[in-house]
Amino acid sequence: MAKGARILVVDDEQIMRDGCTRILSKEDWEVVTADSGEAGLEAIKRGDGFDVILLDLMMPGIRGMEVLEAAHQVDPDLLVIVITGYATVESAVEAMKKGAYDFIPKPFTPDQLRIIVKRALEKRSLQREMEVLRLEREKSLRDIATEKSRIATIINCMGDGVLVCDRDSCVVLSNPAAGRMLGIQESSLIGKPLSECRVDGALTDIILGSLRSLDSAFPTVSQEICPTGGSIPTFLMAHTAPVKNDLGETLGAVTVLQDITGLKELDRMKSDFVAMVSHELRSPVASIQQQLSVILEGFSGDLTERQLRMLTRAKERAKGLLDLISDLLDLSKIEAGMAVQYKEPLQVEELLGKIHEAMLPEAEVKRLKLKLHVEPPLQAVQGDRNNLGGVFTNLVHNAIKYTPEGGEIDIRVKGEAENIRVDVSDTGIGISKEDLPRIFDRFYRVKSEKTRQIVGTGLGLSIVKHIVEAHLGKIFVESEEGGGSTFTVVLPTVSTPSR
Amino acid sequence: MSKILIVDDDPDLVEAVTMILESKDYDVIAAYGGIEGLEKAKTGEPDLIVLDVMMPDKDGYAVCKELKADPKYGKIPILLLTAVVSKIPTTRYTQQMGLETEADDYVDKPVEPAELVRRIEVLLGKA
Repeated sequence: MAKGARILVVDDEQIMRDGCTRILSKEDWEVVTADSGEAGLEAIKRGDGFDVILLDLMMPGIRGMEVLEAAHQVDPDLLVIVITGYATVESAVEAMKKGAYDFIPKPFTPDQLRIIVKRALEKRSLQREMEVLRLEREKSLRDIATEKSRIATIINCMGDGVLVCDRDSCVVLSNPAAGRMLGIQESSLIGKPLSECRVDGALTDIILGSLRSLDSAFPTVSQEICPTGGSIPTFLMAHTAPVKNDLGETLGAVTVLQDITGLKELDRMKSDFVAMVSHELRSPVASIQQQLSVILEGFSGDLTERQLRMLTRAKERAKGLLDLISDLLDLSKIEAGMAVQYKEPLQVEELLGKIHEAMLPEAEVKRLKLKLHVEPPLQAVQGDRNNLGGVFTNLVHNAIKYTPEGGEIDIRVKGEAENIRVDVSDTGIGISKEDLPRIFDRFYRVKSEKTRQIVGTGLGLSIVKHIVEAHLGKIFVESEEGGGSTFTVVLPTVSTPSR
Repeated sequence: MSKILIVDDDPDLVEAVTMILESKDYDVIAAYGGIEGLEKAKTGEPDLIVLDVMMPDKDGYAVCKELKADPKYGKIPILLLTAVVSKIPTTRYTQQMGLETEADDYVDKPVEPAELVRRIEVLLGKA
């Protein structure tokens, strides 16, 4: 700051002006002089951007005191040091009262002048910094206000409902969409505890669960609810997540509500259509297969070897078709939400024990080692026995299908935080990087020389994924081409508060 | 020889099952719907009924329930032919329905001839 500062010296005495100029110029400051109050004032009014003014009080023409007043009208922050003649303390005090920054009595030494000007410049520098800070603060406050208004506008305009609760489950923020979806006046929500808001019971449970949840592996809970508040039945998807501070403490919960009534309707129509088509397809194909097996068994007379071969193949093809239709039916049922309806607390390791036993003969055919490893203690999961059984059967079945003779398949089950983790690993042909991301897609089948002989519908894993997700679980796979695969299913245990 | 009633709205399936059963020297009578099946169960004096589940006029569960509730015909063993084999979600449904309707056994369509014969022999007490 000190460098390049501009100083105005106003004095009628040439000797003073020259003296000051000489002393101050040495400090790399720019010095401008004025030989009268009028000239000084003119320079100030021109707005030359002076930092400090050295002002003689005793001058002919306009008196210094008037220059001081006029200067402060131009710039109230201007630092004025008055030069007082021969210890006239009274005039110095008067000048200070009128806003002068300091005074220096004549005569003064160069050092005295330097020190007092330097101090003034430092003050000027601080003033400037403060001004910058003040402007920044003003801007930040304006930004925050703008941001607040912007967020409020965004939230209010959103088609999705937003509901924010504090840690005492009081509603602190909501938008018109939330009120509309829940059939409650928005204004009657704010500030009240959820329990008094006539909010859908299931939703209240989800939010309370989210507020109570500890370090859950699944912070965001998405659940379908059907609030009864409105006149028309609506289906909402509620996505709830806890808001945490930097210490990991829960401060509240944010819920976003999505109206999925239309989607559900479309989905239902699609599933109905698929189910209808599948039924219509299934009966004739089942009939064809039945007829073929009757012919193949020789009930309608003897067959030549060629007829036998062709009809055997035809029956296999009919069976493949039937499997595909069955899988499609499964999928449409699952997507329609008709599956996973019989949830009960169950021990996964018991289920796996039965599956392991049932699959042993199939593994033995290919001389595969199929082992089950249980790491107790294991908590129960809330699940549908048949569907989860189907999941693990499918995974083990796949492992057997894709593992060459003499290989090994390991089923591992263990507890992990608030979850049960099941790994099904094999020493099979593995999955390539390109195929890995699509492995759970409908109808996706890995096509390679090694898999050409393996039959399947391409729906198995897609069904598995649906079921696992319907149990609020997760499924993922790790694999390397030629290096085996590990499919992992993680299911929340019964005690998980966030479900 | 035992007399078996086969009830299915699909004539092709009736024919296929008839061929299997006739090869084992069973007497076979056929009905092509639930209502006809119920009537023939009462008039045809079958020793066993092979009953399809999905039929347009009256489904197999209803036929089964009605017969089992009747002291006169309640003792005739019924083998349900369940049409919808979907591996995962409906197994329990079919089992439950099968049990609720007190069918004696059930088998998924299509059925391997040997398996059908085996089940029938079990129900007739011949195995």
